Amino acid sequence: MLGKLSWDVIPFDQPLPMIASAVVALTILGVLAWVFLAGHFPYLWREWITSVDHKRIGVMYTLLALLMLLRGFSDAVMMRSQQALAFQAPGYLPPDHFNQVFSAHGTIMIFFGAMPFVIGLMNLVVPLQLGVRDVAFPTLNSVSLWLTATGALLVNISLVIGEFARTGWLPYPPLSETAYSPGVGVDYYLWAVQIAGVGTLLTGINFVTTILKMRAPGMSYLRMSMFCWTSLAASLLIVAAFPILTATLAMLTLDRYFGFHFFTNEAGGNMLMFVNLIWAWGHPEVYILVLPAFGIFSEVISTFSSKPLFGYRSMVAATLFICIVSFMVWLHHFFTMGAGADVNAAFGIATSIIAVGTGVKIYNWMFTMYGGRIRFATPMLWSLGFMVTFVIGGMTGVLLAVPPADFLLHNSLFLVAHFHNVIIGGVLFGAFAGYTYWFPKAFGFRLHEGWGKLAFWLTLIGFYATFVPLYAVGLLGMTRRMQHFDVPAWYPWVLVAGAGMIITTAGVVAQIIQLVVSIRQRAALRDSTGDPWDGRSLEWATPSPPPVFNFAALPHVEGEEPYWSIKQRAREQNRLRDEPEYEPIEMPRNSPTGFICAFFATVMGFALIWHIWWMVALGALGAFATFVVFAWRDKPEYVISAAEVARIDRANRSARREALATYTGPRP
Amino acid sequence: MSNADDRHAQRRDTHDLERYDIDTAPGDEYLGDTDVGSGLRGYVIGLGLATLLTIASFWLPGTDLVWAPGVPVALVVLAIAQMGVHLVFFLHITTGPDNTNNALALAFGVLIVVLVIGGSIWIMANLDKNLMPMNAIMNMNR
Amino acid sequence: MTAMDVRERDPYRIHGGHGHALGGPAPIRIVVGYGFWIFLLSDIVMFSAFFAAYAVLAGKTAGGPSGAELFNLRNVAIETAALLLSSFTCGLAGLAVTARRSSWFYVAMTVTFVLGASFILLELREFVHMVASGAGPTRSAFLSAFFTLVGCHGLHVTAGLLWLLTMMAQIFAKGFRDDILRRFMCFSLFWHALDIIWVALFTVVYLLGASR
Repeated sequence: MLGKLSWDVIPFDQPLPMIASAVVALTILGVLAWVFLAGHFPYLWREWITSVDHKRIGVMYTLLALLMLLRGFSDAVMMRSQQALAFQAPGYLPPDHFNQVFSAHGTIMIFFGAMPFVIGLMNLVVPLQLGVRDVAFPTLNSVSLWLTATGALLVNISLVIGEFARTGWLPYPPLSETAYSPGVGVDYYLWAVQIAGVGTLLTGINFVTTILKMRAPGMSYLRMSMFCWTSLAASLLIVAAFPILTATLAMLTLDRYFGFHFFTNEAGGNMLMFVNLIWAWGHPEVYILVLPAFGIFSEVISTFSSKPLFGYRSMVAATLFICIVSFMVWLHHFFTMGAGADVNAAFGIATSIIAVGTGVKIYNWMFTMYGGRIRFATPMLWSLGFMVTFVIGGMTGVLLAVPPADFLLHNSLFLVAHFHNVIIGGVLFGAFAGYTYWFPKAFGFRLHEGWGKLAFWLTLIGFYATFVPLYAVGLLGMTRRMQHFDVPAWYPWVLVAGAGMIITTAGVVAQIIQLVVSIRQRAALRDSTGDPWDGRSLEWATPSPPPVFNFAALPHVEGEEPYWSIKQRAREQNRLRDEPEYEPIEMPRNSPTGFICAFFATVMGFALIWHIWWMVALGALGAFATFVVFAWRDKPEYVISAAEVARIDRANRSARREALATYTGPRP
Repeated sequence: MSNADDRHAQRRDTHDLERYDIDTAPGDEYLGDTDVGSGLRGYVIGLGLATLLTIASFWLPGTDLVWAPGVPVALVVLAIAQMGVHLVFFLHITTGPDNTNNALALAFGVLIVVLVIGGSIWIMANLDKNLMPMNAIMNMNR
Repeated sequence: MTAMDVRERDPYRIHGGHGHALGGPAPIRIVVGYGFWIFLLSDIVMFSAFFAAYAVLAGKTAGGPSGAELFNLRNVAIETAALLLSSFTCGLAGLAVTARRSSWFYVAMTVTFVLGASFILLELREFVHMVASGAGPTRSAFLSAFFTLVGCHGLHVTAGLLWLLTMMAQIFAKGFRDDILRRFMCFSLFWHALDIIWVALFTVVYLLGASR
């Protein structure tokens, strides 16, 4: 009846996960109770859960990402502290638990921290920058969000019910096959990633279509902002790479559930094929994460240097170059697997070549700043921190791209330090830059600068203090994922890394305080103009937060940096453009399809993990029924009257007029 | 710029649009070409060509017409030709200006397919050549 | 050509609104069609991973039967004919939609369904036969890859059949409404794409496998 499920699967004997999950569960129950008792649920359901508005979906993605980053960070704290305590000692995490912690850390950080953060910012900003009212498929967008949330939920359920994978964030066979991982850990991984992966794929399709087919009048390709370009490249990579992940994990699933022999030791299976295929997805995935971050830095650096982006066209070319070449380097993740010198050399050279695209970008950012009037606000600090950190990470990456060097450094902590160097320094700093940069657009008030700057410096120093020792200890021969170690030479470095973690933790706390303080002081931090940073692209033409339809009349784009030219003209003539003729606007209706679909996906995923077959059928049937009901509806849109549009837009115009009247030249 | 200027600019762009910027959905034939008669002709031609190519594929390996080691190559060529026929006559993907985006997306997809399949085969064949077969290791352990 | 002319010559209102780049967002039919086209390409990339696995594992029969011993090309030829014809009749259904002839639409769709269903039945019969004779997917890596690749295509066809029935019911219930027409366009793209994948399949798996 309940498959493999029984009371034994809840780890009552292990106090650590039990306490942690009890705290989390109580918090969630408390929040839910508060929502229901205070009568907020109808509002949440109507305005957020069923919302198909790209801005709301972007905010929810970002919220999910922030929560999951905290979860992944707590795993990181556990790993660093375990290793700091485990010199010639067992430490406090048993090996079995330690293995789950590092597997969950990687899985959560990549799939449920970094991805939703980047996708959330894309959701919030791309349609605004394109000058349109929504993405191509708004309801599908909501489905994507909730499927991603389903994946995150399944990973977190594994904390209490059963176990998580002990195989690392990529479940290499044969370890991940039933023979060596008989429990449900790998199954949790497979279904969580598979379901979230469908959501990500749909996002990719949605954004490719949006960017290629839905742009404001006059917005030709070479007038799009850099963030739209990098989002386009990342979406193309999602569309091209995620199906490979789906197929590869499906093969592993067939091995595990039905005794197929894709990757097994017996009957001709080839486990190296898994490594090959998973990295054919895995390397583009790196660029799926970092390309949007590059776009964010381009926006931020140009805005805060009060200059157009230097070398815009070379930037576009570099982005597309990276997009294509990222599919030609995947073997550098397994140089040591046994391919011959010819294959290794080919992929090593391709890897060195792809760094050229990034190099072009770094120089462009530096020349953008050169001669500019730079304002060192928090987003700009993150960008500067990124440039230095990412160059270091990139150089260690080029080092690892040399096959003979890789043979020495493979799977060492040097490698771990390298990819954290690029992912934290690139993706996370980019996400934080975007978060502080666009927060006022989403909510109508800025984040507190003081706490933001403190968070930046603590995170930056904490990062270096943690990962520079890992480079060193990696060169000394310490491999990754060690539950304990006995080499005295490593010990001081591991201790320093542990101390670095304390500084990073302070940075995380500062970031949380920043949010709380900002919300409490929101009246003082209010952005009434809709353009708090003296921005250059179209999102700053809308009020903060933007109305549901974004633009009362679609802007007419006449060049690069469309909002900058509108603003300059207004400043020269000292008057706004004439009021447009307001027309009624059709907007997509909200729909619970995404949420209901994700509910059935959760049921189905959970049932598949525990082999509860009747529940699988129920979930599949429910999901299909949801789609048919959705397909059957007759009125997908509602109309906002011209008078309402006019009322909202006139408020925006009067705020702009006021800003124009008090304008006193470029800010220092 | 005044309102009148704006409208002028808009008109200019609409004009450009009609000249350069005609676009169709994949699967749709170009407008003016959608009457049933010519549509039917397209499908019949497609069916005819595809049938011929299919028959050739099935018939070829049984004959001595092609040098035996060349048979796989010939089969792959026939398959690619047939896929092209399907794309043009059934899916209406052409290289016309109205189809630029559709064809570009297809080209990107084909590039990825070639890289994934070609790369995997190359890498795995190389590994096979360089690594000791599994049963040899098993024998060593015995 | 005025906007009005375009609309009259264009039953789908492809150019009823503005075009895609300079004139603002593309009409919804183009947006939907393009989005689905991108989805199909991603689906084809997924198949490419299964093809890659098959190509690598095709020789790993682990002492079990090989393709040459198992494949019945006559069966495959009939399957191919059924699927090719169904692609053709699906095109005819599209023409019936253009002409707004609902009776022809139902006939063409029914024939498509019958052809698609016979394809699936033939494939299932082949699978059942193979499993019964000890050549199931757990026998060897080659057979795992074979069943997965061909079965994945079969699953797609099955999903297509389900969609086909839903599509007929929708036209019946709602008539030739714009959103239903867009959905039908996506369905026919899907169906034609499945036939393209089958071309790769019968060539790589069956013809090359049988002559190996």
